[in-house]
Amino acid sequence: MRMDTVSPMDTLEDFIAHAIALEEDSAIRFDDMADALDVHQNHEVTVLFRKMAHFSRLHLAEAQKLAEGLTLPRFKPWEYKWPQAEPPETPELDATHYLMTPHHALVMALESEKRGHAYYAGLAQSHANARIRELAQEFAEEEAEHVALLEAMMAKYPAPPADWDEDMDPPVSVD
Amino acid sequence: MDAVVAKPQSFKSDLKPVWCPGCGDFAVLSAITRTLTELGLPPREVALISGIGCSSRLPAYTSVYGFHGVHGRALPLASGLKLARPDLTVLSVGGDGDGFSIGGNHFVHACRRNVDLTYIVMDNSVYGMTKGQASPTTEADWTGSKLTPEGPGLAPFRPLEMALSSGASFIARAFSGDPLELTRQLCAAIEHRGFSFVHVLSPCVTYRPEQKGWRARVHGSFEAPTADRREAFLRLLDDDGFATGILYQGRETPFQPTAQATAPVAALGAQFAV
Repeated sequence: MRMDTVSPMDTLEDFIAHAIALEEDSAIRFDDMADALDVHQNHEVTVLFRKMAHFSRLHLAEAQKLAEGLTLPRFKPWEYKWPQAEPPETPELDATHYLMTPHHALVMALESEKRGHAYYAGLAQSHANARIRELAQEFAEEEAEHVALLEAMMAKYPAPPADWDEDMDPPVSVD
Repeated sequence: MDAVVAKPQSFKSDLKPVWCPGCGDFAVLSAITRTLTELGLPPREVALISGIGCSSRLPAYTSVYGFHGVHGRALPLASGLKLARPDLTVLSVGGDGDGFSIGGNHFVHACRRNVDLTYIVMDNSVYGMTKGQASPTTEADWTGSKLTPEGPGLAPFRPLEMALSSGASFIARAFSGDPLELTRQLCAAIEHRGFSFVHVLSPCVTYRPEQKGWRARVHGSFEAPTADRREAFLRLLDDDGFATGILYQGRETPFQPTAQATAPVAALGAQFAV
């Protein structure tokens, strides 16, 4: 298992490789979750997850642009230095549910953006390399914008009633 | 074609998984595709063999060769394939019911036989596909099924002990909530020469929603693998079922008989003509 604190990265190339992996993993996970919800006919959340995957890919393209002219290190998937088991912006699979509402989807997206913000803000504050601090600060500010955007979106999708996951005609039932 | 660095997504098929959203098996699928990418294996050199159950649907969701076999019989199929085609990388996947109950006998003998293949069991301690009955790894006091209203009342099967005592030469446990560690283990398992068993704690969010709490229970006690079977047994005496990592990696010689000259397919078919 990985450590619960951010391990330092040595070079700008390391930092950009991490930024690329972070966005790529997030995009793939949101797409996987969109597929899962699509199979279960939850089209409203499917659309939202697709949007999140799209945004992650836009950020991925930005990170890839930064890599132009650099030779990035090739890390094995488990060699990246993440604060948790997975990259910070990768939403947790087990938070999905076939009856989940757009509110739940936005909560998931918000949590992942907040983790992304904390990750970059931590590097911006503490990294020894000035260029990494500078870029991390830029990324942290972008993540803060995403957090604000998602919080604004959530106003349109208030929390559903407590019985949101009750299904009068469940596709599965015990025994 | 092979010179192009593949992406994990290229190992996924166009078929979308029908697993319940939140199922741990999604992460296992993702870890398998990452592993195959990491090892640079072309899809045509990999075969995924499964039995029956939710997790046994996995081969259909990949672009490698696949065989969705009979309940509990994934390991004989996988062993036969590897013996006939040693050039292939053979993976066998399934769940705890398929692997430890219906296929329990095959599991023991596959460990003993030590054919060079990797067996990945997605364990959620329940029969999910048949709507939530107790499985071999279900806790004795689990009362979630009407079939066992007072709980199964049996001590759960302990897969790692069974694998170790039966002769498996690579034994590991991972958690689907840590897919990068799972990827590391799968790479090591596939690269290991011999029968490698990876026990994956993969929550069933539908029939065992309390398993979402596994995230807080798993811990990495098996960090460094041992090649000493006695030491591995000692570690298992203290195992709470949630220790992850590679427990044992031995150097036993894999079973791979020399290929014999075979008859043409038509001649073989003739032997089975009724």
